[in-house]
Amino acid sequence: MGIPADRLPDETLLAGLGAGDAEMAVAFVRRFQRLVYGVAVTVVRDPGVAEDIAQRAFEQAWRHAQVFDSRRGSVRAWLTTITHNLAIDVLRVRTSEPVDPAELPALLTAVTDTPEGFAVARDRASALRGELARLPAAQGRAVAMAGIYGMTARQVADAEGVPLGTAKTRIRIGMEKLRTVYHANDASPKDMGDD
Amino acid sequence: MTKRIGCGEFGDVAAELALGVLTGRERADALAHLEGCDACLETVHQLTTTGEGLLGLLPEAEPPAGFESRVLARIGLLGPQPAPAAGREVAARRPRRARQSRQSRRGSPVRPSWRVSSARQSQQSQQSRQSRQSSPVRRVLVAAAVVVAVVAAALGGWGLRGAASHPAQAVASSPLRSAELTSASRQPVGEVFYYTAGQRWMYMTVDLPSGDGTVICELKGPGGHYTRVGSFRLAAGYGSWGGPAGYGPVTGARLVGADGRVLATASLS
Repeated sequence: MGIPADRLPDETLLAGLGAGDAEMAVAFVRRFQRLVYGVAVTVVRDPGVAEDIAQRAFEQAWRHAQVFDSRRGSVRAWLTTITHNLAIDVLRVRTSEPVDPAELPALLTAVTDTPEGFAVARDRASALRGELARLPAAQGRAVAMAGIYGMTARQVADAEGVPLGTAKTRIRIGMEKLRTVYHANDASPKDMGDD
Repeated sequence: MTKRIGCGEFGDVAAELALGVLTGRERADALAHLEGCDACLETVHQLTTTGEGLLGLLPEAEPPAGFESRVLARIGLLGPQPAPAAGREVAARRPRRARQSRQSRRGSPVRPSWRVSSARQSQQSQQSRQSRQSSPVRRVLVAAAVVVAVVAAALGGWGLRGAASHPAQAVASSPLRSAELTSASRQPVGEVFYYTAGQRWMYMTVDLPSGDGTVICELKGPGGHYTRVGSFRLAAGYGSWGGPAGYGPVTGARLVGADGRVLATASLS
């Protein structure tokens, strides 16, 4: 007796999806649909649009399953990136104000809350979650606006009513703090080089 | 011309570059710097993966009922499903011609957004292979991968602010060309970036004195014929757009209003 499809590794299900195996495709969609839809609806905040984005994300996974390389990252991260890129594309076309800063505290609370029920709960992700929670509020908002909603520094500055330089600094310092934590255990972390 | 920036200046924009939100001249300058700096390349790589980690924190959510069936129908593993479909998921059937239908789909096999992911992953792969004794050849390869990554990242259809303009030029020796976008009164109103390696892509930033609504981006072929490649919205004269730009030779680009009026042109000869 074989292993049920829903117990197969992510990479195997993805390969099955790419090969057109209906059973594995169903298992793949079931495993990742909450992740994909969650990313999409968080970014665009419109259920109908989010569903279309999520469908397209699975379609792209199906189209490009054969070029996925697990040495480059997990299926989850790959699918998340696909979905996020699609959502940002849509967001940028639909509006010049991707997010109301007033909505950001709720999002930041959601992503920095306990890992239970969230997309990733690995150690590195937990460290990132903790560091994000520790960022000064303005830096956290700037990182979220740029990293999640794809807003430029200019858009962040406009949304926050601060000079462009201030917005750029918030993004830079916030991301640098997150990078330090996220890559803390890398074999040979490098600092910025000299000229 | 791109400005030669040092690591300090690059560090000011590295996070924005990694998150795909750096535009125009700053992006071009940053790319030029990356071509010769392994340390900053590594920094951008780490910032990029950090940004991906940030996305991994986003909360999951239950999709609408029938989502699974509609996805399967979309990729040819089920018959067409009405949206919104409610109730139980429909059992999938074996795809007799799934691969055929996939291969027969028209258009670019790789959308801009996927190119970003793919290129980023290529970059990661390149870097993982890069040993401590970094050879010049390897460095060029890695730099090229990052150029592809960040250029592709630029090509997602922004609604952003414009950038400083400059004359038509190639950025360093890369396949990235750029040209000034000028209005009918010969005023600089933006910039066009055209990437010619492999599948062709373009990215246009516009900074007109005023104007709202949809504008159309067209590319000019050697015979003077214009082909529409995309559209985007201007807000108070500002906007930008990026996307695939066909496969044939291109000599110029122009921006056309919804009423057919040519708003600006650029020469890419």
